[in-house]
Amino acid sequence: MVYVDEIDVDQEGIAEMTLDENSIAQVARPGTSLRQATAKKHEGPSPAVRPVTQSGRPLTGFVRPGTQSGRPGTMEQAIRTPRTAHTARPITSASGRYIRLGTASMLTNPDGPFINLSRLNLSKYAHSPNLAKTLFEYIFHHENDVKNALELAALATENAQFKDWWWKVQLGKCYYRLGLFREAENQFKSALAHQDMVDTFLYLGKVYARMDQPLTALSMYKQGLDRFPKEVTLLCAVARIHEEMNNLTSATEYYKELLKQDNTHVEAIACIGSNHFYTDQPEIALRFYRRLLQMGVYNCELFNNLGLCCFYAQQYDMILTSFERALSLAENDEEVAEVWYNLGHVAVGIGDLNLAYQCFKLTLANNNDHAEAYNNLAVLEMRKNHVEQARALLQTSAALAPHMYEPHFNFACLSDKIGDLQSSYVAAQKSEAAFPDHVETQQLLEKLRQHFAMI
Amino acid sequence: MSLFKARDWWSTTLGENEEYDQGCLSVADVDNSGSGQDKIIVGSYSGFLRIISPHPAKAGDGVQAEDLLLEVQLRDPVLQVEVGKFVSGTELLHLAVLHPKKLCVYSVSGTLGNVEHGNQYQIKLMYEHNLQRTACNMTHGPFGGVKGRDLICIQSMDGMLMFFEQESYAFGRYLPGFLLPGPLRYSPKTDSFVTVSSCRQVESYKYQVLAVATDADTKKEIEQQKIGSGKKLLADWILNIGEQALDISIVSFNHTAFSIFVLGERNFFCLKENGQIRFMKKLEYSPSCFLPYCSVSEGTINSLVGNHNNMLLVYQDMTLRWAAQLPHIPVAVKVANFQDMKGIIVTLSDCGHLQCSYFGTDPSLFQAPKVESRDINYEELDTEMKELQRIIKEATKTQDILPKIEKEDDLTLSANVSPVLDAVSQAVDSAVESEAVPSVTVKFSIRTRLHVQKTVLAISVPPFLALTQDQFIFHSIEPGVAKSVSVSVFLKGNCPPSDLEGSAVVSYNTPTELNPEGVPRVAQCKFRLPLRLVCLPVPPSKAANHKLTIDTNKPPVNLVNLFPDFIERGDDDQVSVLGFQLLAGQKVTLLASKTSQRYRIQSEKFEDLWLVTKEFIMRFEEYFLKQGVKDFTCSFSGPIPLQEFFELIDQHFEFRMNTEKYEKLLSERAVQFRAIQKLLLTRFKDKTPAPLHNLDTLLDGTYRQVLGIADAAEELQNNLFRAFIKLKAATQLIILLIGLWQKLSKDQITFLESTLLPLQQDGQELGWEESVDAALSHLLRTCLSKSSKEQALNLTSQLTIPKDTSKLKKHITLLCDRLAKGGRLSLSADSASQQSNLTQGFSTSSLSLGTA
Repeated sequence: MVYVDEIDVDQEGIAEMTLDENSIAQVARPGTSLRQATAKKHEGPSPAVRPVTQSGRPLTGFVRPGTQSGRPGTMEQAIRTPRTAHTARPITSASGRYIRLGTASMLTNPDGPFINLSRLNLSKYAHSPNLAKTLFEYIFHHENDVKNALELAALATENAQFKDWWWKVQLGKCYYRLGLFREAENQFKSALAHQDMVDTFLYLGKVYARMDQPLTALSMYKQGLDRFPKEVTLLCAVARIHEEMNNLTSATEYYKELLKQDNTHVEAIACIGSNHFYTDQPEIALRFYRRLLQMGVYNCELFNNLGLCCFYAQQYDMILTSFERALSLAENDEEVAEVWYNLGHVAVGIGDLNLAYQCFKLTLANNNDHAEAYNNLAVLEMRKNHVEQARALLQTSAALAPHMYEPHFNFACLSDKIGDLQSSYVAAQKSEAAFPDHVETQQLLEKLRQHFAMI
Repeated sequence: MSLFKARDWWSTTLGENEEYDQGCLSVADVDNSGSGQDKIIVGSYSGFLRIISPHPAKAGDGVQAEDLLLEVQLRDPVLQVEVGKFVSGTELLHLAVLHPKKLCVYSVSGTLGNVEHGNQYQIKLMYEHNLQRTACNMTHGPFGGVKGRDLICIQSMDGMLMFFEQESYAFGRYLPGFLLPGPLRYSPKTDSFVTVSSCRQVESYKYQVLAVATDADTKKEIEQQKIGSGKKLLADWILNIGEQALDISIVSFNHTAFSIFVLGERNFFCLKENGQIRFMKKLEYSPSCFLPYCSVSEGTINSLVGNHNNMLLVYQDMTLRWAAQLPHIPVAVKVANFQDMKGIIVTLSDCGHLQCSYFGTDPSLFQAPKVESRDINYEELDTEMKELQRIIKEATKTQDILPKIEKEDDLTLSANVSPVLDAVSQAVDSAVESEAVPSVTVKFSIRTRLHVQKTVLAISVPPFLALTQDQFIFHSIEPGVAKSVSVSVFLKGNCPPSDLEGSAVVSYNTPTELNPEGVPRVAQCKFRLPLRLVCLPVPPSKAANHKLTIDTNKPPVNLVNLFPDFIERGDDDQVSVLGFQLLAGQKVTLLASKTSQRYRIQSEKFEDLWLVTKEFIMRFEEYFLKQGVKDFTCSFSGPIPLQEFFELIDQHFEFRMNTEKYEKLLSERAVQFRAIQKLLLTRFKDKTPAPLHNLDTLLDGTYRQVLGIADAAEELQNNLFRAFIKLKAATQLIILLIGLWQKLSKDQITFLESTLLPLQQDGQELGWEESVDAALSHLLRTCLSKSSKEQALNLTSQLTIPKDTSKLKKHITLLCDRLAKGGRLSLSADSASQQSNLTQGFSTSSLSLGTA
């Protein structure tokens, strides 16, 4: 049984992100855009505690389409694969994912295609409402032919005297896929005038989120919640927007509200859990993750998280078994790398630097692009006074993940130590750009500036 | 995803390879036993009809033989089973079975035996209707508000509703706009039929409207069962829900409002009786069946929803109250009362798994598979661990993420300066005013271990010395075979060089399999040219302006041993005086005291002393090293000949000032030249020719002036360069003397060198004077400062050419004074304080939590 939720299958491609023609202002006012992480002000845990994604947003507890890639500022950043994405290359266009959904149409039938779209007289079918809706879904989902689907929908809505909200929603869906967000917005709004439906609110919110108007999206969801109080999907959408806006406190509030309605909601549990973890409450996070385990979520990531929570909650007996299970459940090299990376942290925590060194090495053996592991390895090398090695590792790390402040800062410290003040200053500035509130970076910069003033 | 599982009360699997769907399950006291005990009636698509009455001895017991009350095989597949008052004249419950072409109504009766397994059950056919259209589903109820009996409405696959008043056929009616049949239910309160059509609308038709309506297609009427004529069929109300529905349920419990529940594919709707949405809920899974039932709390209705993830969810209106795991995907769900158990949930899967269950806090135990683990044998573990550690250690030596820097270079470059001068001088174009300019051959050999490409050898010698060829390109060098080239070095410029050390650099690429371009690398070496290259032995001269006296702590050495290449052996064994004639400079004389351990070097020019002094001290050290004497030291008693040094500084500075002057002059003239050119150009472009007013003569004159000044400036540049070389030689000499004088360590000498000999080229914008002055004043303020007060820094941000050299001279004098008073050249004091706050800043990047 396949369940395709059109609302969730959507990932912004590079082309859409970099060649965005819907933006109104070059620089949005703070707090009104998803595009720029409101980096100046961090609510909740700072990046020093909670890792951030490429776009400078804190890591979320749940992988969903579009959360990991973020909205890159530059082309270069867009091309770089986010480490947590599960594909080797970035999604080059929004259609990429849809094509994969439409693979059913690519199977060759011995008798030719089931319906030959090019021979279809759409206007004829548009006149029979009972057939048209099914035909539309076939064209839209199975054939993935948005153009024809749009034509059919346009004819059908005309035939229905523009009174059928369903056709308007379908038109909006087609426009959305074609990237005509304003038109899509009009259709969805018009559909809402006829009939309030949860899906329509969600679609409209999605359009606003894509147009980078999170506040409008929020108000739309709130409107939906007025009509359908405590609707789980709407609550979830609100929480996601808050999370993307870096407003983790409200996001958690909404996730909690959501759990009151549906206490089996995995996404909410995972997000609250990770939030607790990063706000220094590993014991509570542990309870959430254990709940997930009891509910039957059984995968590498969960055991990984359980292991970490156990470690920070000082339940040492469970750490290694959790990680052991995580390793045995890992499905690909990236997951293995992630587990070894966290094991490396445990090793650092118990002071076994040799083990930590080997863990980070294993991380890199499994995933050569693991910027954090390069950084940590560099710190360990630094402790052994292998300056050259550390430098090279830090440079690799910084090149792989320019959004992380750690490699920049460490590089700055290292360069400062060996007297390369120029490099140190440059790196410190990068670190400051990635994490403006980092006190040590500021101290270092201040020191360097004084130094330069003296010369 | 649920915490708990439904607790199994009784379960069985019916038949083999049979198929079941939504309508195949019914629960009622079908044999009218009156005990309030429900029986489960299950019909299958294979035509089996079963009636089951589960009564396990204790919860979770398996099926017993007497649980199955009845099993008959009917000829046709069973589409739906319903229980109701279908037989006229009695209010007893009967069983209606829908086959594709037939509707049968049976009565079920049981005869009690003496013991429990003696009970007999049988069914008796009451009546049947043969259908002319293939049936899809049916619904029953007191249509039209009749009391005490149930009528049946069958929906055919082509959209006709056929109404049966028990034993007789009433009428049939086509639904408008029909494509595929949807679920159909009768709503007793409004006396209407609710269905979801292919237009994805919930449609409600009044029974009365159906009864009196006429069909759109009257032709079919005649062929089909007789139908009365009437009005066109219009729906009572229509609600567009935009999706196909799985099931409809119409409920009205005592204290709750009448509601119509529609389970769509994506959403769950609760409608009011007029077709407005009371509430809806978006489902995040694929539902398979549902059943609304009475809730304990006021004004709400609970519903059981089964989904394709093997779950049974309980919603109170729209809030999830309970979620339980089932062992199968339920296609039909009912609630029944058995024995004394009320509210047992009966679920049926599509392959015939029938389960009666109830909710409880039994965890849905998920047995995580065991991780492969071994019994711990510590000895074995230890040995394995050791073995692994050994392998890791070895591996890290040879292969690492970053290649280790090779201890031995792939390519070695060595320079070999021939000990004798060339027999035939190779010097060409030498500006030295001397009859014979000697040259010396330097042989470079390149030896590689690997195959290298694009090898370029570049050789450089100090200014005024020149090479016959300074660059060699080898396209590829075979490993193991040494390539060698020879070049000759000679003095070209008319000035002694400030140094005799040359350097050579080889750049090459080491190609690997993966990287055919190769990694660029360099190797370099230095070589020292013989003093003989720039000076000739001459008879010594006693008179000299500048004298230096070097003391040693060892008895005097015969100069023949020191300078064998300058003295022909044999004529006089004890030589104490030696003369050097610099090829492009003055005569230098070296005197050795016969009695004391002193040596004197003297010359007409201060800067010329440098080369000989340096050579002298070097040869001394070499000589004593050969003799095996270790504690040899030279010393200089002072004072440092600063005055001579300052003269050279002034000379250099004057040249700089002149250069600046000339540059200004040149730019003035150039401006003038351009101005005249402009004027002339406008004259020439003018259509009406005007007299030139001798502008051409002016242009010519200016041009000559520019050329003259440029020539002079060039000459000045050369002089400046020469002066700088001299200054450099003198500076080196001063550094050497200070070193000998204060017995400075090697570190301190390098420190002094970096202060007094800045690496950058001497130029007009940034010259030697200001950079040395800046370095000196920094030194004087930091490590050579007398008090901490001086350490307060007032910095000039930009280095500019000074007005005069008095300040610089003062600083140099001060440096010598401070050094004489025991100042130490080191910056370790303030660098130590910096080090301490460096290392604290390392942070490891934080964890990356995976995702759930």
